[in-house]
Amino acid sequence: MTRIKQLLTKGQASWNLILIGLLVLEFVVFGAANPKFLRPALLFTSINDNLPVFMIALFVTLVMVTGGIDIQVASLVGLTSITIGVAWQDFGFSIWAAVALAVLICIACGAFSGFLIAYCGVQAMVVTLGGSFLYSGIALLISTLSSTESYQGIGGFPEEFKFIASYQVFGAIPFQLLIYVAMFAIAFILLHKTKYGRKVILTGVNAQAAEFSGINSRLVIMSTYVLSAVAAAIAGIVLTAYLGTAKSDLGGSLTMDIITAVVLGGTLSTGGKGSIIGTALASFAIAFLKFGLPLCFKVGTQYLNIPVGILLVAVIVGRSAASSTGYLSMLRTLVSSKVGNGPKVKA
Amino acid sequence: MEAADSQNGTVGRDEARVSYQVPNTLLSVQNIYKSFGSNEVLKGISLDLCESQVLALIGGNGAGKSTLMKIIMGIYSADSGEITIAGKKVDISNPKAALEHSIYMVPQEPMLFPNMTVRENVVIGFDEGASELESRLKSVMAEIGWSLDLDCKASTLSIAEQGMVEILRGLMRNPKVLILDEPTSALTFDEVQSLLACVEELQKKGIGIIYITHRLSEVFEIGTTVAILRDGIVTTQGNVFEFTRDDLVRGLLPEDASVDGATTGDSACEIDYSQEPVLRVRDFSGYGFSDVSFDIYPGEIVGLAGVVGAGRTEMATTIFGRDKVLGGSVTLNGQDITGRKTRQVISMGLNYVPEDRFNDGLYRIRGVAENTTSALLSSSRMGRFFLNSKEEERVSQSYVDRFRTKVTGLDQEVGGLSGGNQQKTVIGRAFSTSPKVVILDEPTRGIDAAARGDVYAVLQELRDTGVSILLISSDMEEIVELSDRALVMYQGRIVQEFGKDQIVQENLTAAAFGVYQADAKAVTD
Amino acid sequence: MGRIKNLLHARSMSSFAFLVILFLVVGLINPAFLTPSNISACFNTSVVYTLVAVGMAFTLFIGEIDVSVGANLGLVAAVVGSMLRDGQSMGLAIIVGVVIGAMIGLINAWGVAVMKAPSLIFTLGVNGVLRGIVYVYTNGAWVENLPKGFKDFSSVTAVGDLTVYYCATIVLVAVIQLLLVRTKRGRYFHAVGDNAQGATLVGLPTRTTKILAYVICGVMAAIGGIIFCSRIGFVTPASGNGYEMKAIAACVLGGISLLGGVGSVVGSAIGAVIMASISYLLVFMGFSSNYDNAITGIILIVIVVVDALLQRRAIVKNRHARLAARVSSGTEVAAAAMEKAQEGGEA
Repeated sequence: MTRIKQLLTKGQASWNLILIGLLVLEFVVFGAANPKFLRPALLFTSINDNLPVFMIALFVTLVMVTGGIDIQVASLVGLTSITIGVAWQDFGFSIWAAVALAVLICIACGAFSGFLIAYCGVQAMVVTLGGSFLYSGIALLISTLSSTESYQGIGGFPEEFKFIASYQVFGAIPFQLLIYVAMFAIAFILLHKTKYGRKVILTGVNAQAAEFSGINSRLVIMSTYVLSAVAAAIAGIVLTAYLGTAKSDLGGSLTMDIITAVVLGGTLSTGGKGSIIGTALASFAIAFLKFGLPLCFKVGTQYLNIPVGILLVAVIVGRSAASSTGYLSMLRTLVSSKVGNGPKVKA
Repeated sequence: MEAADSQNGTVGRDEARVSYQVPNTLLSVQNIYKSFGSNEVLKGISLDLCESQVLALIGGNGAGKSTLMKIIMGIYSADSGEITIAGKKVDISNPKAALEHSIYMVPQEPMLFPNMTVRENVVIGFDEGASELESRLKSVMAEIGWSLDLDCKASTLSIAEQGMVEILRGLMRNPKVLILDEPTSALTFDEVQSLLACVEELQKKGIGIIYITHRLSEVFEIGTTVAILRDGIVTTQGNVFEFTRDDLVRGLLPEDASVDGATTGDSACEIDYSQEPVLRVRDFSGYGFSDVSFDIYPGEIVGLAGVVGAGRTEMATTIFGRDKVLGGSVTLNGQDITGRKTRQVISMGLNYVPEDRFNDGLYRIRGVAENTTSALLSSSRMGRFFLNSKEEERVSQSYVDRFRTKVTGLDQEVGGLSGGNQQKTVIGRAFSTSPKVVILDEPTRGIDAAARGDVYAVLQELRDTGVSILLISSDMEEIVELSDRALVMYQGRIVQEFGKDQIVQENLTAAAFGVYQADAKAVTD
Repeated sequence: MGRIKNLLHARSMSSFAFLVILFLVVGLINPAFLTPSNISACFNTSVVYTLVAVGMAFTLFIGEIDVSVGANLGLVAAVVGSMLRDGQSMGLAIIVGVVIGAMIGLINAWGVAVMKAPSLIFTLGVNGVLRGIVYVYTNGAWVENLPKGFKDFSSVTAVGDLTVYYCATIVLVAVIQLLLVRTKRGRYFHAVGDNAQGATLVGLPTRTTKILAYVICGVMAAIGGIIFCSRIGFVTPASGNGYEMKAIAACVLGGISLLGGVGSVVGSAIGAVIMASISYLLVFMGFSSNYDNAITGIILIVIVVVDALLQRRAIVKNRHARLAARVSSGTEVAAAAMEKAQEGGEA
């Protein structure tokens, strides 16, 4: 029991418990309003629809823990998708060679942006903004290499590829969900269990002090952008398989959802603190909110930005208000003593 | 009078000054108290400043000079005490209020807008029309005889020019009180002269000036009155001509320190100087220091004294691989570490406790354990890939126990610790890498007396294990108490070396302020 | 030193030079481009970008950012469009639109300047909420059938082939530029972004300045929304999407630093023209407009990286010069020693 509690609070005291509370609340309210909400098949669908965001958010957490931001990942999803499609359909690559090519291109893109941020000292926001234009532009150009009109999308992928999204383990659990679970485990272990993760965190708290500790903070910062790019590539692969078509503008609107999930998950936008579990819980909370509101309260799907946006604004304002008054530490002490964690002093 | 004259030989100037003194008090602070947490910084400061006075304010680091000035400027508010201006009690709660009372401070680090032109920097914040400001600016500049390119960006100015712009800003406000916080610390010789000339001009106009400095020669050159601050109190105050250099040096020393200086002999153990030195620095040059040579022997504590800006920190961080080496060599245990990366320097056996604890030392929002083991992340002791949390706990717990660090747990955030416990954590980090030499830069700055004793005990204990320590400190008492040998840096060079029996505060202070006179007591080269 | 000084001095000038060279190069490749009507078209199409970018410039001057301008523009466009469609008077519609923009600016100012929330994330949340509100307001439908006069006014020209809108915008930008440079309060924006601590020390009203910057930004986006409505002739619930990123890019192209304190509104206006005309120019150069994003991204990245490297070099050089000045030369030490000897004799 204590072991589980420790795991849950890894990286941040009780924020995760609040997120779990939010999830439980969603299940209770939505479940009561419409029992359909609780059907596993429907829940899995809602998760599947949001999996790219889930996957990318995990690794954007690492970027934001270093104090950076990555708004180019969404464009890499489309780049991956169209690379796979064009390489496979028009250049005669085997589907897996096409996938490997797409991943390599994403790694190069992530490394390029990461290098400019870490070694040239350009702000992450500007570089990844430029990156989002550049990589989505490249994606569009790659799509013009294809004989298929870009708006149609490239389809007809082999079964072995579509298998990624269609196979269900034990006939119930989507295989792509397992990919997410694996990515979650990797991200969790990387950030919380390895020396690398510790370097990421310390660099985010104080890059200067990290240098004085002999940590190569620049390399660490650059590497996080490579990791987030790889996550975007995997998300692009899964999304292409899921939709069955390769398009250059897939994932174009995911940026806000990704940032929201990471920030709501408790990662400090100034860096130095973050939790993979928090990001995962926040992703689920947002996904279920977006799934439950239309299902149970007939809220139009286009309106869903409002509750998500309000959630983001409320959390960020609450957090900065709390950090200036110190009431968050009070709240944390309160919550942690309530759940029997004992009065821990957390500033 | 005679004494002062023989010290600086400016008879005429002193006479002139006396005739200016009208007992018209511009600014008076009474019984100012201020503490930050448990750290009492000001303990009842009272000072007066009259028209045409240049009050030279001197004192060691952490004596409270800057805090006092920030209270006068309304950046901090005092816990108790009063400020009166021209006889009226005033409440200065923010810088705007101070400006309205015609007080202006030229901060130590110029606070210019780097991307604005000089002109914009000077005239910003005024309500008058542009042409009116322009003509006033012209007349002010003509009056003090400076020529500055008003249209160039502030970021392109030298530090001296930036200081001049700050002073211009002050003059444009027609201040009655002008505070100059160590204005010459980064200036070259010529620039200092032109600044001092300017201060004299201002004085003639009846402006009261508080002049904070580290250079005793400047006190005699331009000060009319002098006040010495030590540990939050004014120890000495009066007209400059009443004092000699020795008086001032004495005022900078703690009361209980005998000037003749017997050291606490029991703290030192015998160092075997016939051994090979563990650290050998030869003709080492870099940005901020030049041609530095010294040796450190196994188990030795070598004190490195000097004032802020003397180049000690720059030398230490350059050895540590943080800045470019311009010449010379550093050998550690026979291995050349000149210009190596920080990571390599650490693994070869040298570590550094930074001067700026907050910016270079601490991960404030992380726990004690994470802070302590952060320098171990490059070695395999903390695991190859996975983090060895058992080892992490063992290492950090051992330093918590050994240093008697007060923590509620190893996961307590260090930002919430007291200064002393924070410093113990950083020292623990430096020693966790099993170094042969540790450079400690101002290890007791800003921490209270009890914690200071703890840190000293820790250092003695570590030295007994055979580690060599280079102790950089502006606190002369600390160097006297701990060092087996002491070096003094002044303007980027090592100017003196003192053997154990010559390490007394008087010698150190004099050498650090560049006025050490080699006599019978001192070693001469 | 002088080179950097000049470079900084002429940030917007170099953007302008870049624009001129761009036009000339295109003209060399395809002389058909160099006609007044083509060049005017480049300017005319940039009018909405220009307005949004000029507003954005204010938030960048103070060292913050506002990514809610796209949704702000969309909302104002929808509201103004529907009011005009329903026969409301033009004046009323414009007033309502501007008030909405100002209100959004105030909300952002509250979050950033008063609650001290990180501006990127706060305004991202506000962006989401506003997007949702646009859907609520329009019910997801397009706003069409705008009065013909309103739509046609967008093509009325004032000077040569330049539209009334663009000419009015030029006048507006010029006035704002003069206010910023010539008035005492105009300089506060840059001062606050340049050195907030220094600004407080010389008694500037930092918080009020920040609030004002956000309100101006909101109002400019609103005006952009009204003109968007007139030029495009219809409003979709997704109108204005991505304008925030284009506006930021325009500002960066125009020489504005995201670190605050640097740049001019003229620069952002020129940047907006570059952003808007790239796709138009590509057509004349024989490329498809598919290159649009890739070229934008490359230009953006190259400009910010070069700028960052130059600035860093200047800072390092400055620091080293400062440190070197502290070291006494050998002769000085000798002189000091002599002085000491003399003093010793006197004593």
